[in-house]
Amino acid sequence: MSEIKTIALLGQPNSGKSTLFNNLTGLHQRVGNWPGKTVEQAEGSFVFDGVTYNVVDLPGSYGLSANSEEEVVTRDYIQSGKADLVCILVDASQLERSLYMLADFVGIRMPVMLVLNMMDVAEAAGKKIDASAIEKHLGIPVLGFSAAESKCYPEFFKKMVSAIKTPVCLDSKSLRNELVDEKKNGEDIISRIEAALGDFEYGVCEKIWIAEKILEKDKLVCDIVNEMLPFARKNAIDTILDSAEGRDGGILTGEAKYRWVSKIVRESATPKSIEKVFSKWDRIATHHIKGKFFAFGIMVVSLMACMILAFPGMGIGFGLQPILESAVERAGNALGVWPVAISFVKLVLVGGTCITVCMTSFIFSIIFVFRILEEIGYMARFSYAFDSWLSRLGLQGKAIMPLFSGIGCTAGAVCGTRVLDTRGQRLLALVLLWAIPCGSKVAVVLFLASTFFGSAAPLFGVGYVALIFASFYLSSRLFGKKLVPQNERVGMIMELPPYHKPHWKMIAAMVGRSTWGIFKKALKMILMVAAIFWALSYAGDGNVENTLLYRIGNAIEPVTMFFGMRWELFVSYLGGMFSKEASLGIMSTLFNHTGEAFSLVTRVAASENLGEALASTITKPESLAFLFASMFNVPCVLAMGTTYREAGSIRWLCTIMGYYIALSLGLGFIGYHIGLLIF
Amino acid sequence: MKNADFVDRLSLAEMGENRCGTVAQIEGDSRFISRIVSIGLTPGSAFTLLKNDGRSPVLIFCRDTVIAVNHKESSQIFVKMES
Repeated sequence: MSEIKTIALLGQPNSGKSTLFNNLTGLHQRVGNWPGKTVEQAEGSFVFDGVTYNVVDLPGSYGLSANSEEEVVTRDYIQSGKADLVCILVDASQLERSLYMLADFVGIRMPVMLVLNMMDVAEAAGKKIDASAIEKHLGIPVLGFSAAESKCYPEFFKKMVSAIKTPVCLDSKSLRNELVDEKKNGEDIISRIEAALGDFEYGVCEKIWIAEKILEKDKLVCDIVNEMLPFARKNAIDTILDSAEGRDGGILTGEAKYRWVSKIVRESATPKSIEKVFSKWDRIATHHIKGKFFAFGIMVVSLMACMILAFPGMGIGFGLQPILESAVERAGNALGVWPVAISFVKLVLVGGTCITVCMTSFIFSIIFVFRILEEIGYMARFSYAFDSWLSRLGLQGKAIMPLFSGIGCTAGAVCGTRVLDTRGQRLLALVLLWAIPCGSKVAVVLFLASTFFGSAAPLFGVGYVALIFASFYLSSRLFGKKLVPQNERVGMIMELPPYHKPHWKMIAAMVGRSTWGIFKKALKMILMVAAIFWALSYAGDGNVENTLLYRIGNAIEPVTMFFGMRWELFVSYLGGMFSKEASLGIMSTLFNHTGEAFSLVTRVAASENLGEALASTITKPESLAFLFASMFNVPCVLAMGTTYREAGSIRWLCTIMGYYIALSLGLGFIGYHIGLLIF
Repeated sequence: MKNADFVDRLSLAEMGENRCGTVAQIEGDSRFISRIVSIGLTPGSAFTLLKNDGRSPVLIFCRDTVIAVNHKESSQIFVKMES
C-alpha cells in the first residue's frame, strides 16, 4: 500500500482552481455530494513519485465566512484537519483583491501553500510579482504559476512535495498587529474579545481567528461560542458587540485584512495598477437592452457552433448504423448464427453504440463551447444581463445558457449546468431543463399535433410554449425554496472577470477527457436499457402478439386508460423515455405493423402511413392525452444518464423523473377528460 | 475633506458614470458586509464608477477588478466623490 496524502484546493471564483484540479487529476475524478448537503464534492487523485495524492476541490468562495452552504462546507472541511496541505489559489492579475482569501485563512493552523495563478496574465498586463519576496514575507511556500500552461507543473509538484514534507502554517502575528489598535493598550475591541474568550480554542482555529469571526457576527462561530462559553463571558462578548465599534466589526476586520494584504503587495509587486479594462464590447454587453440582444446573438451563434461541431460525430453514428447492421446480418446468416443473437447484436449492440456516438457528439460540442465562453470570461456577462429575469425563478443569469441549449439537446445542456455556481442552482436548472424540448421532441410533438389536429397544430405549438413557461413557474415553486433558500437569493454582488484568451490545447484536452468519461458511462447505460427494451419487444416470428411488451401492455391497459392511453400508446410513451425516435419506432410497429419492433436510431419512422394509421385508430380525446403526455415526457435515456452524473445522486434523478412522469401523466389525464367533454 | 463632507451621504447608486471616488461607509447586515468586504470594497477603497444606468447593477472598478453590485444594494454603499 503506497502512501496517501490529501491536498485541498481553496480559492475564489475565477482563480483557476478548476483548471488546476482538472489538470492534476485528469480522468481520476469523482463528483458527488457532501454528506447531507446540496453541495458538490469534487475529488480526484494523482500519483507522483510513488505517492498517491487525493485532491479535494473545495467550492469556490470569496472568503471563509459561513454565508452559504458552499462556504460552510469549505470551512467545515478545512477545520476538520483532514488535509495534509491546503493549497490557496489567487489570481495574480488581481493580487490585492484575491489575497483576501489568504488573509481570511490566517489564524487557521493548517499547513498551507500559496499559488499565484495567472502569472502570465499579470505579466501581460505589465505587473511584476516577486513570488520569492512574498514567500519570505509570509514564511510559507509561494509559487508563481499558470494553471493553463503545462510547463508550470514540474515546479508545482516540487513545491507541493516539499510543502507536505515540511509543513508550515501562516503566522497570525502580523495580521493581529493590523487588527489590534496598539494605542489602546490592550483595551481595543479584538483584545477585549480575546480576553473574554479566555483559553477558548477550537480545533485548528486560533483565538484571533475566532475573535475576528465573532466580530464579523459569523453565525456558526457565534453558535459554538454561545454553546461552549460560560454565561458571564458570553455576556461580556455580547456587551462588546453591542458597542458602536462592535456593530461595525465586519468593516473593522475587513479593513485590517486589506491593510495586511497591501503590505504584502507593496513589498513584492510593482505598484503599477492594471489599466481600467472596460471596453466598448463591455459597454454593449452590459447595456440593459443591447446587452440582452448581444447575449441572444452569442447564444444563437454558440448553438450553431454546437451543431456544426456535433455534425461529424452524428454523421458517423447515423452513417455507420445501417452499414454495420447489414454487415452483422450478412455475417450472422452466412455463419448460421442463431437469429436471436443476430437480432441482439444488431439492435442492441450496434444500434446502442451508434446512438451513443450521435448523442455524445452533441454533449462534446456543448461542453466545448461552454468551456470556451467561460474561459473567455463571457459567462459572467450572461449573469449580468439576465439576472433580473432569472432571479425570479431562483436562478443566476448565466443559467440562460444551459436552458437555451436545451433546444439542441437536453443531455448536452444538462452537462452545461456545470457553469452555475452552487449545486442548488444546478439542480434547479436541471429540473427546469427537462421541460425544454430538444429538437427530436419538438419533431415528435409537431408530428403528433399535425397528425391528430391538422390545421390546428400551430395552436398546440403556442400552447406548448405557454405550458413550458407555466412548468417553470411550478418547478421553481416546488423545488426552488429547498434548492435555493430565500436567504441566499441576495442581490448580485460579483466580479466581471477580465476577458482572457482561451488556451485551446488545455480546453481540448479537458473536454476530450470529460466527453470520454461521459461516453463510457452513457454506453453502459444505453446498452443496458436497450437490452431491456429489446427483450421486451423481441418476438421470434415477428408477430407483435408474441412479445412481452404486448402481454404487459394488455395487462395494464385498464390502468393506463385512466390517463387516456390505450396500451399501444402507453408503450410508445414508455419508449419515449428511451429516445424520441424509439417512441415513433414503437408506434410504427404497433399501429402500422411495419419495421422492427423497436428501432433506436431510425429517424424517419414517422412515415405517412403511420400518420394515417394513427389518425384512423386513435380517438380525439386519446390523442389529446398522448400529445400532452409526450410534451412533458422524460427527455431520453442519455439525458437521464447525464442528469445522474451532474446531480451526483440517484435520489435526485428519481425525484426529477418522478416529477416529470407525474406531470406528463397528469396533463394527459386532464387532456383526455377535457377531450371526452369536447369531442 | 470639507468638500467631501459637503456632498455628504452620496450613495453609489446616485453617482454618475466615469467618476472616481472612495468608499466612505457601508451599511447593511453582517451578511451583506461580509460579502461586499470579501469582494474587495472597504471604507477607503478608491474606485472608478464605470456604469450606472439607474436600473442594472452598478459597475465599478476597484482593486484591479470590475465589480457588479445590484442597484438596490449599491444604495447602501456611501461614497466620497473626487472633485
